[in-house]
Amino acid sequence: MKQLIKTVLLLFFLMEGLYAETIKNSDTIEKARVKLGHRLFYEADLSINGTMACATCHEQRRGFCDGNRVHPGALDDNGKRNVPTLANVGKFKNLTWSHDHLSGLAEQSLAPIKGTDPVEMGMNGHEDEIAKRLGQNECYQKLFAAAFPQEKGVVNLGTLTQALESFEKTLISENSIYDQAKKKHKKLPTKDARDGEKLFFGAAKCNNCHTAPLFSDDAFHQIQPKNLKVYNGMRDNGLFDVTGNEKDKNVFRTPSLRNVALSLPYWHDGSATTLQDAIKKHKLKTNNKLSAVELRKIIAFLNTLSDESFINNPQFGKPSLECK
Amino acid sequence: MKKLLVIGVLVGSLFAQEAVLPLELDAWKALSYVGAAKSVDELSTATLKVAKASYVGLISTPKMKYVIRPMNEGGTVSYGGMFEVQINESGIYRVVLGNASWIDMTKDGKPAQSIAHSEGPKNSGIRKMVDYKLESGMYVLQLSAGADNSSAILVMKIK
Repeated sequence: MKQLIKTVLLLFFLMEGLYAETIKNSDTIEKARVKLGHRLFYEADLSINGTMACATCHEQRRGFCDGNRVHPGALDDNGKRNVPTLANVGKFKNLTWSHDHLSGLAEQSLAPIKGTDPVEMGMNGHEDEIAKRLGQNECYQKLFAAAFPQEKGVVNLGTLTQALESFEKTLISENSIYDQAKKKHKKLPTKDARDGEKLFFGAAKCNNCHTAPLFSDDAFHQIQPKNLKVYNGMRDNGLFDVTGNEKDKNVFRTPSLRNVALSLPYWHDGSATTLQDAIKKHKLKTNNKLSAVELRKIIAFLNTLSDESFINNPQFGKPSLECK
Repeated sequence: MKKLLVIGVLVGSLFAQEAVLPLELDAWKALSYVGAAKSVDELSTATLKVAKASYVGLISTPKMKYVIRPMNEGGTVSYGGMFEVQINESGIYRVVLGNASWIDMTKDGKPAQSIAHSEGPKNSGIRKMVDYKLESGMYVLQLSAGADNSSAILVMKIK
């Protein structure tokens, strides 16, 4: 009996050690994937003519958005939608302005890399070129080997997009003035911002869709008339373009308002040039009665959602030239 | 057949849209060639003059040694280049460019923050225009992440 107990205990400790080792290894691999994904995010060789990286449109200083209405592709094709923020993107189930069944950020990243509606980075049919370009680079050889040891460091769209997903999941913005006040149980610094907060969560009902803490309910809504003007020659039917269901026409996912003051212009087509325009564009009963003063106060509150530590975090900024 | 082609081209040219350039962009029509510098040592031979448009030859990105690291560096298959620009008078300046290269206007190793972006008139060959508020002094204009090995460029004072 004693022998049996000894054997069971020994097995238990062995298993525990093995489990701890597995966890440690998977942590190390995940860190290596984040590091690789960070470098890939700023890599213009992911585009057909080397002119565009993910970071070309997702600029850190703008909360990982872009200052243009829509951004043209690497081959100058018209853009279709305003660049969405990547703040807290790992916490969303529905990705992009209007897609409801992407398996994750890895699959989503294929849309800009090789998508054709619109052409962004222009790599459709040229996927092997990415492996060729990156495979010749000693730094990438090292980083892929560390991030994908089981795959023997192979460079392909599968490993590349997994690394991008790992990096994008680290893009967490939760240290805005609003967050700091919440954590310390303090009030927002200005009266306008405090009044705006009350309106946002109260009478103006903004929080119904722009639900805290993501400031998005991660759900789809139709808040404009069904027959919109075609911009840039790009017809955009929202979720309908994915599902084909008539009820999804002109339906878009609620965008997060994190760092919204830094990310003008607004709306899925970038047609609202100011926050005021964007609020007024909501054709809803709740905000039709907002006065100019109330609008100003809501905007003062939205300004408190800017996260300086997020837009200045070197872990998200351009990686060093040195391969480390 | 040849005659038909010639007639076709002539008719086509009759209906071809010519860009109507505003007066301040008049300099865009007359281009002189300037080769880009790939390092600081070559900058003295790569000079752009304010209000004079140039047709510039660009260099493969892996050969570039920029004065400062560009915001958008471009991949191994892209093109870039550097130029010296003497700014004699403080004011708002516009860099007018024929392609979509990234522009960094730098002085003493620091990039100037752009204050406005716009597109050129239709069919003008102008792809982008970026405005900067500049003090007088010698600037290094860096182009990076360009799709082509050449471009037209003009630096002009607008205010």
